[in-house]
Amino acid sequence: MSIEVMTLLFFGSLLFFLVLGLPLAFVLGGVSVVFLYFTWGFDSFYLVASQIWSTMGSFTLVAIPLFVFMAMILERTGVARDLYRMMHLWFGGVRGGLAIGTLVICAIFAAMVGISGAAVVAMGTIALPAMLERGYDKKMVLGVINTGGGWGVLIPPSILMILYALITGVSVGKMFAAGILPGIMLMVLTSAYVLIRCYLQPHLAPDLPKEERGTWSEKFAALRSVVLPIMVVFMVLGSIIGGITTPTEAAAMGVLGALISAAVYRALNIELIKDASVRTFKLTGMIMWILFAAHAFSAAYQSMGAQPMIEGMIQSIPGGPWAVIIFMMLIVFLLGMVLDPVGIMLITLPVFTPIVASMGFDPIWFGILFVINMEIGYMTPPFGFNLFYLKGVVPPGITMGDIYRSVIPFVLIQIVGIGCLMVFPEIATYLPDLLF
Amino acid sequence: EETFTWKVQSHWPGASSSYKDSLGRLKDVLEERTDGRLKLELYESGALFKPTETFNAVSRGILEMGTISPAYAQNKISLAGVASGLPLAFQTPAEAAYFHMNMGFEEMLREEAAEHNVYWATDKVYQTEMVVKEPIKSVEDLKKLKIRSSGALEKFLDEAGAATTYITGAELYSALDSGIVDGAHWGAAQGAYSMSLYEVAKYHVKPALNVAGTDVIIVSQKALDALPENMQATVKDALKEQFWVRTNEYEHKEKVTLQKAIAEEGVEINTLPQDVQDHMLEVAQKFWDEEAKTSDNAAKAVEMVKEYLKQLGRL
Amino acid sequence: MRALTAFMTGVTRLNNLLGRWFSYLVMVMFLLLITGVAFRYLLESPLSWTGELTQLLFGIYGLMAGGYLLSHNGHVNVDLVYSKFSRRTRAFLDLFTSILFFIFTLALFYFGVDMAWESFSGRETSNSAWNPPIWPVKAFIPAATLLLILQGIVKLLQDIAIAFNLSYYQPEPEPEELPEDHT
Ligand code: NA
Ligand code: NA
Repeated sequence: MSIEVMTLLFFGSLLFFLVLGLPLAFVLGGVSVVFLYFTWGFDSFYLVASQIWSTMGSFTLVAIPLFVFMAMILERTGVARDLYRMMHLWFGGVRGGLAIGTLVICAIFAAMVGISGAAVVAMGTIALPAMLERGYDKKMVLGVINTGGGWGVLIPPSILMILYALITGVSVGKMFAAGILPGIMLMVLTSAYVLIRCYLQPHLAPDLPKEERGTWSEKFAALRSVVLPIMVVFMVLGSIIGGITTPTEAAAMGVLGALISAAVYRALNIELIKDASVRTFKLTGMIMWILFAAHAFSAAYQSMGAQPMIEGMIQSIPGGPWAVIIFMMLIVFLLGMVLDPVGIMLITLPVFTPIVASMGFDPIWFGILFVINMEIGYMTPPFGFNLFYLKGVVPPGITMGDIYRSVIPFVLIQIVGIGCLMVFPEIATYLPDLLF
Repeated sequence: EETFTWKVQSHWPGASSSYKDSLGRLKDVLEERTDGRLKLELYESGALFKPTETFNAVSRGILEMGTISPAYAQNKISLAGVASGLPLAFQTPAEAAYFHMNMGFEEMLREEAAEHNVYWATDKVYQTEMVVKEPIKSVEDLKKLKIRSSGALEKFLDEAGAATTYITGAELYSALDSGIVDGAHWGAAQGAYSMSLYEVAKYHVKPALNVAGTDVIIVSQKALDALPENMQATVKDALKEQFWVRTNEYEHKEKVTLQKAIAEEGVEINTLPQDVQDHMLEVAQKFWDEEAKTSDNAAKAVEMVKEYLKQLGRL
Repeated sequence: MRALTAFMTGVTRLNNLLGRWFSYLVMVMFLLLITGVAFRYLLESPLSWTGELTQLLFGIYGLMAGGYLLSHNGHVNVDLVYSKFSRRTRAFLDLFTSILFFIFTLALFYFGVDMAWESFSGRETSNSAWNPPIWPVKAFIPAATLLLILQGIVKLLQDIAIAFNLSYYQPEPEPEELPEDHT
């Protein structure tokens, strides 16, 4: 059977069982095992066990339970509630003001962590209820958190950029530098969308009635609530920049900051720890089992011959270098819907990068396009970690369907972002050229 | 005529020069010499199995071929510790190559691997060298260092007085940049260059921490036996030739890369002062004796190394 | 029938009990990492084992959530179409898709045992400076998978009871759907 037919069957059965409601982890794992049996025989199941062992050993993942734990503690202590009350007092007059505030917090978070899930969980637990309470449209809120969370891999530090550098051999420092301006660009684009949309359709993000906006003294009193969050940010960011911790260890500093905040709010007790621990366990466990199976899934797809297939497809594209680049982006976009980013990078980059280089494009620039596309992959249905994280923390009334539908405009904005970078490559290349 | 396709899991990322120069070369050579009857399907590091699992997969015959570091097989191969490199024993790849190929060490490794249905063929011998942010000028400087290390060298550097810590490849650049560690080793010049380490650490330390057969090609005995006899011989000959070609080529590229780093990144060579070298060699010898205690074979190999170094007038 | 019910409650209780205990590992990982940072930065003498121990515990932590989550319906699924069906239809669907669940978990269990046994018989260690034995961690792969399989059997029995209206299992009443808000 040709690899093209296999690909259709492979992803077809994935979608089929997903629609039937079997949890994702078991769909990915089960489909991998079945296909491995037919392509490689019984012994190849060892690959599944072996991939689980590899995933357990991934050091960058250790940050996930810690950042989740931090968010759970902050949410329970009331720090987060006060923060949003403050934002509402100050920006309540602007339609969509809280959403913009959330995007800003996401960007700060992105500068602290190199992964995407941490901000999604933090904002999903803290910002989502705060905004829903104040009458914000759920799709607007979900979309904002989904998008902002994804910036963790674009604004440095970024695990995906490091992986890109490792696979393609470009400089990590240049990649980091190249991500900054595109990150800001996406923030501006997304904020502009939110502001315009909320201005035209006020019911999506109602402004605070004039009489509730508070006096200046109330506003300044509310500012006290930012002291503790700023301390937490300072502990995390400061310890990375100051050379005290690695980004992973910084997650533990975040937990320490959250615990101190809880103590200041006189909320630090056994119940809090118990509750936060259980919620963290559920969310991390859910993601880990998806990762276990997803890594087996992409390894199985590799073993079926994914790479030569993609190579063949690229070589048959007419229309010159730009057509090839756009086609590559399309492949990554489509794979991003069904595979995890690490798997996609391992499959496509060895094929793409020599071609990109031979056509004379800047590999750093291409890397940024690629990373933004990976970011999109985090939030495109059916398979996207941001979606799963969100599903793990939203109140029961919000279904996966709501989350899926919410991302559509935001995905389009990111695609516009990729388009801007293709027209103005300098947005990515300016800083690395300046600094190195 | 029957054709054979082997799945080959690399422990190198695709961008690493060795992926193309070692595996790419072997693939071409074998295809050509078997008239296309033996094809290698190459997989990058981690694509199917993570590096530390490759030996198991080849031993089980799930994979026909793979590349590893001896350390990944240390629980199976008692000589893996010696193969990974006795610190400060050899000074040049030529010395290490003589030890492997002319003194019978490679044969000893091959016998141990055969017990796990694996055919062992060292890809090349080369040096492991450190890069540091500030030059080491005295034993005190060495003892103040925080070094990112791994495996046996971590233990050795620890005993030599430096503070070692393990940081994954993914976080290494940032860790050096922000000063969580002051130095690191990732192969030698080519490794450091590929990881962009020279951007954040400008001193390249000489002499090498070790020179050893750190890259190994392993073949499943089952897959090898399944080939017709003339093709088996072709594979074994190609692997033997590979060792010499790659050892020479790698050594040459080391020199070229280091020159490039000096010219492009302003890297300086930090040759360790004699007293630092003496101190480290003293620690190293204790370390060799520890390694010798791990198995009879290891004891024999360490004895061989010592005899050889006496011949060279270094002990 | 009573044995069946006892088995179902027993497995669910076991997974819940273990889940509650293993959830505290996040505190342990936090303390280990903070200790590691303190020793390296404040005392200038890095500990070689804190990071690695955290990593090993993290693997166990993730694995052990498998069965616990299943008992809480915590493994995320795509409910786009699924949630529109009646409870009985869903039970039939679950019976069908459980084939894939058991194929995956049984393969994982079989090769997990194999892998852990190989690791144990070679007394495999991690090959780091600290060099701890890692077979106990690998042993958690089949152990956690077994707990997951047991909970999967419980779920299977529940679905059979719902699908065929059998009396050994009484499902809890459906939580009332929250009203859709303006969209
Ligand atoms: Na980031
Ligand atoms: Na996706």
